Amino acid sequence: MRTLLRALALLLVAGPLSAAALYAAAGPDWADDALKRVLAPPLGLPAIAHPAANPPTAAKIALGRKLFFDRRLSHNNTTSCAMCHVPEQGFTSNDLATPVGVEGRSVRRNTPTVLNIAYVDALFHDGRDPALETQYVAPITAFNEMANPSLGYVIDKIANLDDYNAPFQAAFGAGPSPDRLGQALAAYQRSLLAGASPFDRWRFGGESDALGERERQGFELFTGKAGCVACHAIGESSALFSDGLFHDTGYGWQREQERQGKGGMVEVEIAPGVITSIPHSVVQSVGNPPPADLGRYEVTQDPKDRWRFRTPSLRNVTLTAPYMHDGQLQRLDDVVAFYNAGGVPHDGLDERIKPLGLTVEEQVALVAFLKSLTGSNIDQLAAEARVEEPDNIR
Amino acid sequence: MILRLLSLLSAMTLALVVQTVSLTADETCQSPYMPKITGQEQFVYVWTLGMEGVGDESDKLVTVDVRPGSKTFGKVVNSHSVGGRHEAHHAGFTADRKYLWAGGLDTNNIYIYDVHTDPSKPKLDKTITTFVADTGGAVGPHTFYALPGRMMITALSNDKDNSGRTALVEYSNEGKYIATHWVPTDKDPRGAKIEKVADGYGYDVRVLPRKNVMLSSSFTGWSNYMMDFGQMLKDEEAMKRFGQTVTLWDLHTRQPKKVFHVPGSPLEIRWAWGDDANYAYTSTALTSKLWLIKEDDKGEWQATEVADIGDPSKIPLPVDISIGADDKTMWVNTFMDGKTRLFDVSNPEAPKQIYEKQIGNQVNMVSQSWDGDRVYFTSSLLANWDKKGDQNDQYLKAYTWDGKELKEQFEIDFVKEGLGRAHIMRFGSSELYTG
Repeated sequence: MRTLLRALALLLVAGPLSAAALYAAAGPDWADDALKRVLAPPLGLPAIAHPAANPPTAAKIALGRKLFFDRRLSHNNTTSCAMCHVPEQGFTSNDLATPVGVEGRSVRRNTPTVLNIAYVDALFHDGRDPALETQYVAPITAFNEMANPSLGYVIDKIANLDDYNAPFQAAFGAGPSPDRLGQALAAYQRSLLAGASPFDRWRFGGESDALGERERQGFELFTGKAGCVACHAIGESSALFSDGLFHDTGYGWQREQERQGKGGMVEVEIAPGVITSIPHSVVQSVGNPPPADLGRYEVTQDPKDRWRFRTPSLRNVTLTAPYMHDGQLQRLDDVVAFYNAGGVPHDGLDERIKPLGLTVEEQVALVAFLKSLTGSNIDQLAAEARVEEPDNIR
Repeated sequence: MILRLLSLLSAMTLALVVQTVSLTADETCQSPYMPKITGQEQFVYVWTLGMEGVGDESDKLVTVDVRPGSKTFGKVVNSHSVGGRHEAHHAGFTADRKYLWAGGLDTNNIYIYDVHTDPSKPKLDKTITTFVADTGGAVGPHTFYALPGRMMITALSNDKDNSGRTALVEYSNEGKYIATHWVPTDKDPRGAKIEKVADGYGYDVRVLPRKNVMLSSSFTGWSNYMMDFGQMLKDEEAMKRFGQTVTLWDLHTRQPKKVFHVPGSPLEIRWAWGDDANYAYTSTALTSKLWLIKEDDKGEWQATEVADIGDPSKIPLPVDISIGADDKTMWVNTFMDGKTRLFDVSNPEAPKQIYEKQIGNQVNMVSQSWDGDRVYFTSSLLANWDKKGDQNDQYLKAYTWDGKELKEQFEIDFVKEGLGRAHIMRFGSSELYTG
C-alpha cells in the first residue's frame, strides 16, 4: 500500500517550471532593491534622467512588473510584454528572428531588449516614440502584436480585474488610467539596469585584471582599427555603447533587394545538422510576402533616412541574439564579419561603414571584447521578473 | 490530501478493471477505453478554425450527415460557433463517448460538447478557460485522449517563453483539473533514460494498457505553431526548435521511463491493434520518416526508423496517419503535396507505399471507418501554416475504399459554405446511446 501511495504521489508532481523553485533569489523586498538600483545605477551606467512627472517608486515598479507579465493585457489573453521580452533570454527572444503577435501575426522587426532601456531616448528600431510612458500604446493596440481594439478598452479591462485595485492604489492612490499604466510600465522597465560587467570593472572600477589579454586587444580594436566606438559610444565615466542616432549600414538596403528578388532555393534545417534545400516558390506557397522596411524614413518621411536604424547598445549583446533589426544574423561572429566587409555599399551608406581589414584573430578578439559587456546582475533581474507566476485567467 | 489520493486510487483501479474487459476500440485511432462504432457512422464532427473574411470568422463545431440514404447525406446539418478564433485543432471523446472535448491551441480554451443527447446537434455543455493557470503554465491543449473517468491532454508550450517545453495534463470528465506531468528534459529527466536528448516537448499521447505503457511525441512551441509557415522556414532560430523525442511513460504511475531520439518532429502516434502487437508508429513531419516503437525480445522498448514518406528532401510534411484495424495498412497524408499515401505495414519493420492519390492542394487529417471502407479527409493544418491564395482550399472530402481505389462520395467546400478551415474529424452515431 505504501508503495502504491508513493506511486500515486508521483501523479501530484508540481511543474518544474514553478517560479518559486526556480527564482528563489528575489525576496519580497525586490522592488525596494530595484528602486535603489534605479537611483544609483550599477557601475558603468550613468544616472537616469527620470521624467519630472514620473519619479520612480517601489510601488510603481512592482505594479509595472505585474503589468509586464500579464497575458490578459492582450486582446485574447495570450500575449504579454514578457512573452517577447523573455527575462531568461536577455529580455528579448533568442528563439525567433522576428516575433509573433496575437493569432500568430507576423511582426517584421526583431524584438529589442529592454535591458538598459532607461537610456534610450528614441524608442523602437526607428525611434518613433520619445518616452517609455507612451511607448506601450503601440504594441498594446497594434493589430499584429497585442491587438486590443483600443487603449480605452485596455484601461477598462484592467479596472475590472480585482487584483489590480490594490497595486494601483499603492502606486498612485488612484485607479487605472492611460497615464498611470504608462508610468508603471516605464518605472519597471527603467529598473532593468544591467551593468558592472567585466568591462565596467576594468574601465571604470580600477580592476586591471577584470579583462584578459584578448578582451583588451578587442577593446583596442573596438576603439581603434575597427572604429566601432564611432557609433557605439564609450564615455569617460560611463558607457552606453550607443550614440542613440540612426545609421544606414547597407544591411536594410540589402534586405530590401533580397525581398524583391524572387526565385532560387531556400536552405531549411529540418533536424539538428540535417539541411535540405527547397524552392523559394514552395516557401511562398505557405507564407505571406514579407513587408518592406524603410527604417527611420517611415517616421520622418525624409529620403535620407531610408534604411537607417537606431544604433543598439552593445551591452549584454551576447544575451540578445539573433542580431540586426530583423534578426537574420545568428552569431556575433556573423555581425563582425558583416562590418569587417564594409557593410553593403550603396547610395546612402554611412561614411563610417567601410572595409575594416580585420584579420581572423582580430575578429575573434573583437567578439571576446563584446562578450565582456554582460552585466553582473542579469540573474538578479530575471529573478525579480519571475518573483510571481505570470498572470493568467483564473 | 488523503481524499485526493483516494480519488486517484479509485480512478486507477477503474482503469485497471476497464483494461481487462475492453481492448476493442473505435475507428482505428481512438482510445481503447472508448466504445466503438461497429457499423456505419452517422455523423462526422469537424472542429473548424474560424477564417477571416469567411462566414462569422469564428471557430465552430460542424456536424455533417453521412447516413447513406439520408436526405441530407453529405450536407452540413449543424454548426455551432464558439465566438472568436482560438486555433481550433484537435478534439477527443470522453471514455463513455458522451462528450467531445475540443481545444484551442492559441487561447487554451477547451469546449466540452454533449454529443449523446442529440448526436445530430452537439450542444456546448461547458467551457474551461483556466487551463494555463490550472496546470501551472502549460499552453496549447492538443490531444484529448480518453482514460477511464478522465482526459489525458497533451500541451504544446508554456507561458514562460512560448517554447516547446510542456506537459501532459489530466482533467476529470467533469472538467476538474487533476494533475500536470512535465515532459522530461535534460535538466530534469525525472528518472527517465535518455537516448540522446530530452527536449521536454509534447504533441500526441497514446496508451497500450496491456503493457502498461504510454507514449508521447513532440512538436514545437506556441511561437512556431502560430507563426506564418513561410516566415518560419526562413527563420534559422525558429527551425532549431522542433521536437526530436518520443517519451515512453509508465501508464499507471505517469513516470517517464525512456526518451527516444526521433529527430524531425514526431507527431501522431498509432498503436497496432493485434493482441500480441507490441508496437506503435509515428511519423516525423520535417524529416518525413515513419518510425516504429517496438518492444524487443528482451522487453526493452526501441525506436527505429523504418521508411521514408515520399521524397524527404522535398519536405512533403507528413501530418495525420491512420492505421487499419487489421494492422496491415496505414494511410499517411502529406500536407505540402496534398497527397494521401497508403502503406503496407504488414511487416512493421519494412512499410512500403502501395498507393497514393491527390486529395487537394493541401491535406491534413484522415479518418477511416473501423472496416476501412470509408475514408474522410480535411484540409487545414494550422491557421498560419495553411497554403495561401488560390491553393488554400478548405474542405471535407469523403471517399470509399475498395482495396484498390479511393472513390469520392462527396465534398464540402468549407469556404463556400462560410465555415472556415476544416481540421479534425470525429465520428458520431445515435446507436452508441441506445439499448
